[in-house]
Amino acid sequence: MKRLKLSDILITIVIALVFGIIYKLWGPVYAILKPFGLHVGDVIYGMWFIAGTVAILLLRKPGVALLAETAAASGEFLVGSEYGLSVLLYGIVQGLGTELMFALFGYKRYTAFVAALGGIAAAVGSLVMDAAYGYVMDLALWNLLLLIGARLLGGFLIAGILAYFLVEALEKTGVTTLIRPASDEDYKALDQ
Amino acid sequence: MQWTLQYEETWLHRLNPAFKLVFFLSLFLTLLFVHNPNVMSNLTFVPFILVLFATGHRRIVIALLLIPFLLLFFSSASSMMFFGQGSTTWWRWGIVHITEESFFRGLHIGFRALNFALLGLLFALTTRPVFLFYSLIQQLKVPPRFAYSFMAAVRILPVMVEEFQQLRAALLIRGVKKKKGLRRVTQSIMLYAVPLLSQSIRRAHRIAVAMEAKQFNNKERTYYYKQTFSKVDIYFVLYIIAGFCLSYWIGYTFPYFEITDVRN
Repeated sequence: MKRLKLSDILITIVIALVFGIIYKLWGPVYAILKPFGLHVGDVIYGMWFIAGTVAILLLRKPGVALLAETAAASGEFLVGSEYGLSVLLYGIVQGLGTELMFALFGYKRYTAFVAALGGIAAAVGSLVMDAAYGYVMDLALWNLLLLIGARLLGGFLIAGILAYFLVEALEKTGVTTLIRPASDEDYKALDQ
Repeated sequence: MQWTLQYEETWLHRLNPAFKLVFFLSLFLTLLFVHNPNVMSNLTFVPFILVLFATGHRRIVIALLLIPFLLLFFSSASSMMFFGQGSTTWWRWGIVHITEESFFRGLHIGFRALNFALLGLLFALTTRPVFLFYSLIQQLKVPPRFAYSFMAAVRILPVMVEEFQQLRAALLIRGVKKKKGLRRVTQSIMLYAVPLLSQSIRRAHRIAVAMEAKQFNNKERTYYYKQTFSKVDIYFVLYIIAGFCLSYWIGYTFPYFEITDVRN
């Protein structure tokens, strides 16, 4: 049940590529907001984590968040992201963050709460990459805290809450019955 | 990843794609350990020369693609310049505090971001995605399930664009009004994101079922394209090594900036 089937992989990657294009379009939006320097614009950074949470909330299998975020980053890279190769590494680390949160709950809970944690963990992943990449530790303290705060809030709001509601809306269309593994409740329902 | 752009094939297109990817990633990691702004600014020219002269794309296309890079340079450099730590104050105005250290650190980050961006553009302009995925399977032993899923997914994208246009036209005809503010976000999710995503999930599922019905699996298989290594791979490595040596030599012999290490 837990292993990823071809259909899981294909669906994950299709969703991820859609988000990959959004990621690419998000680049200029972020770059315009950023020079104002106060890092308030970093709230929208959360959009760059959304593929992982959406995919794992939809498919509910281990490894999906990491695969989705990596694939989304590759998609962004292949359409010529101005962040170049760095998006690939960022994607992997962010995906790992989200994945870890769902793993902590044993891949059993797919609630808004866990999704929010997943979004925040992805934000932490991006900050770790930033520390290596852009010397963010050398920012003035108040500015650094603002960056961290805005980034985490963005992860929480966009990659957590927004992703959860998007998946909830998708559930109403009935596509999830197509793709989710049968749960224990489904088997119990058969017994009656 | 250009399906429609006209270009001439150059020697960069003949590099082994998987090798190119791994090599570029290692370049990325190497650049993280360069802390001298003199060297970093010189290194920017190494990919820049190739982007300008060796991608085989038309000048105008290259010029258009380079415009966002300027924005990127300033946006990457600005926060560190304005709010970075440092002891030699140049200018202070309210919360903005530009010091010598933070200014050069900002400049350094800008050049590094530019460097990554140019490398990425170089890769995107000279790599055919299909060859990349074949090469990933053949050289890096990526399971075919992943690589083929990727190739199939890439093919779905144009269909989705078409669907998006159809959706927009349908909504227009029915006179759907755009809401304002935050409700605009929820509206566009319900009207666009949900139908587009659910349709593509269904389509992806059908394709997967079809592929499995045709006995797609991870076992031994033959390939239509065979990716190999060639002399150009060696030329490319030599070019990069020469570029690095030259950048270091110029950076240390004729420095433009006094600072040689941007870390605190």
